[in-house]
Amino acid sequence: MKIVVCLKQVPDMESKFKIVDDKKVDEAQIAFKINDFDNYAVEAALQLKEKHGGEVVIVSVGPNRAAKDIRQAFAMGADWGIHVADDAILAGDSFVIANTLAKAVESIGGVDLIMTGVQSEDLQAGVTGVMVADLLNMPHCTNVVKIETADGKAYTLNRELEGGLNEVLELTGPAVLSIQSGINEPRYPTLPGIMKAKKKQLDVKTGADLGVSADSRVDFIKMFIPVADSMAEILEGAPEEVADKLVDKLKNVAKVI
Amino acid sequence: MAKLLVIAEHRDGKLSEGTLELCRIAKEVAPGLGLEPAAAVFAKDDALAKEVANYIPEVFSVADGAVELYTADGYSQAIKAVVESQDVKGVLLAHTYDGVDLAGKVAMAIDAGIVSNCNKAEVDGGKLVLTRNIYNGKLQETKSIKTDKFVVSFEKGAYDPAESGAGGAVTAVSVSFGDIRTKVKEVIETSAGGVDITNARVIVGGGRGLKDGDKFKEVVISLAQKLGGEYAGSRPVIDSGWIEASRQVGQSGKTVAPDLYLALGVSGAVQHVAGMKGSKCIVAVNKDPEAPIFNIATYGIVGDLFEVIPAFSAKL
Repeated sequence: MKIVVCLKQVPDMESKFKIVDDKKVDEAQIAFKINDFDNYAVEAALQLKEKHGGEVVIVSVGPNRAAKDIRQAFAMGADWGIHVADDAILAGDSFVIANTLAKAVESIGGVDLIMTGVQSEDLQAGVTGVMVADLLNMPHCTNVVKIETADGKAYTLNRELEGGLNEVLELTGPAVLSIQSGINEPRYPTLPGIMKAKKKQLDVKTGADLGVSADSRVDFIKMFIPVADSMAEILEGAPEEVADKLVDKLKNVAKVI
Repeated sequence: MAKLLVIAEHRDGKLSEGTLELCRIAKEVAPGLGLEPAAAVFAKDDALAKEVANYIPEVFSVADGAVELYTADGYSQAIKAVVESQDVKGVLLAHTYDGVDLAGKVAMAIDAGIVSNCNKAEVDGGKLVLTRNIYNGKLQETKSIKTDKFVVSFEKGAYDPAESGAGGAVTAVSVSFGDIRTKVKEVIETSAGGVDITNARVIVGGGRGLKDGDKFKEVVISLAQKLGGEYAGSRPVIDSGWIEASRQVGQSGKTVAPDLYLALGVSGAVQHVAGMKGSKCIVAVNKDPEAPIFNIATYGIVGDLFEVIPAFSAKL
C-alpha cells in the first residue's frame, strides 16, 4: 500500500501566546511539535504498512522549521516526504492548503490511502482533510477510531459520534481518513530510527512547483486575547493557605462539601 | 430574496440542539446580509421539517431514503441541489461530528469559502464577521469570507436555541442522488457498561496535567474517594488508558452537572468544557494562568496541583 500522511507542525498548546501586530504570535516563546492528531495518523499508517507492505509518505505544508517534525515522522518509520515550504501558500486558508496537499498527493501518484489528523491543535478547523478528499474525488471518513481492512482496499471503519457512540461504516479506497486521538499508541522513535531519518528523502517544493494558486477564499481580519464573560475567583497563597481558603469557600460560601 | 440556509442535524428521529442554535444565528444575521433565514431538513419523511418550521420561517424538505441516515455524499448532494434551486447564498452547519464530516465537502460542492468552528457571527457593513477560538481557546481570531457563497459552522452551545412559534412553511425539494460511496452498517455504544458518573454530586476530573496513570490514581481517585464522589477524566486521560472510557467527560463522553466539579490539570478545551460547564460549582487547579478553564471556573488556583491537592485533601 502507498499511504500518505498529511502532517502539520503546531505550537505546544501550553506555550505562551503573545500577539504581534494583531495578526500573528511571537514564535520566540513557542516550542513546536507534531500535531497530536497527526501523530496518531502516522502510527495508523505505519501499522497498515507493517501488515500489507508498501510505503508511508509524509506530506506537509509548513515553514522551514517544520522539517524537524517531518523527520520525526521519518524516525518513527515513515519512508520519505514532501515539504511544501512557501510563505504565500502558508498564509492561505484551508482551501489553499487543501489544494496544495491534493497536488502533492497527485505528484506522488498511485496513492491508496491518505490519512490526516481530525484537526490541527492550533486552528481546530477540521476541514482540510475533507477538502483534500473532494479535490481528489475520493470518499472520506472523519473522526476514525478503528480501521479494519483485509486487503487495503475495502475498509470497515468506526467513526466517532457524540456521547460514546460509534458509526460503523464501509467504503472502498482510495480514500481519505481523518484520524481521532486514542485510536492507537503512537510509537516513539528508536535511536536507529533517528539515525536513518537523517538520510531519508525530503523533497522541498513551492506552490509554483505544484501548480497551485495561493488565492484564499477567506480573509483573516485579526487575532486577539478573548475577553472572558466571567472569570474564576482566584485563590492566592502558598499551598497550605490556598487549601484553607478553598475549604472555607466550598463549605461556607458554595456549600457543596 | 436569496437565502441563508441552516442544515438540520438529527439522529434517531430527534433534532439536535445545535440545529435550533443555528436557527437563532440565521434569524439574527440574515437581515443585515440582505438574506432570508431558511433551513433544510434531509430525512426519510417530512416530520422533522415540520418541527423545524416552528423555529424558522421557511424549510426545504428533502424526504428521500438516500438521506435517511447521514452520509457526506448524500448530504452534500442534497445541499448542492437546494442551494442551486432555492437561491441560497450561505450555509450554516453545526461543528459536530457530522458537521466536521460534511463542512469541507459542502464548501467544495458549492464553490464557497468556509470558516468552521465559530462561536460568534456579526454583521459589519453588510459583511459577515466570524469569531473563532485558536490555540486551544487562549486566543481568538476574526475572519470573513470573500466568495459569493459561504459556509460557516458553529461550535455547539455558542448560541441559545431559537424560540419556537415561527410558523414556517415547508417546501418539498426533490433531488436526484448520484453515488453514495460510504455505507453505514450500524451505530454502536462503545462505553456501554462501566460506572455511571452522571448522577454523582461531586466529581473530581483530571486532565493531561496529572502526568501519568499512577499519579492520576494517587491524586484524583483518592480525592474523589475522600469527598464521597466519582472521578472522571478529559479525553487525553482516556486516550492514554489511565481510566476507563465510561468516565470520560466531554463532547465524546458524558455530560455531567454535579454540585461540585474539581478540574485538576485540565486546560479547559471546548470539548471537555461542553461536558461539565453546567456544574454548580467548578474549582480549577492548573499551573498555566492562561488556561481557558479559569474562564468558566467558580474558584481558581494557579499552582502545582501535586502540592495544592494533598494540602486540600488533608484538611477535609
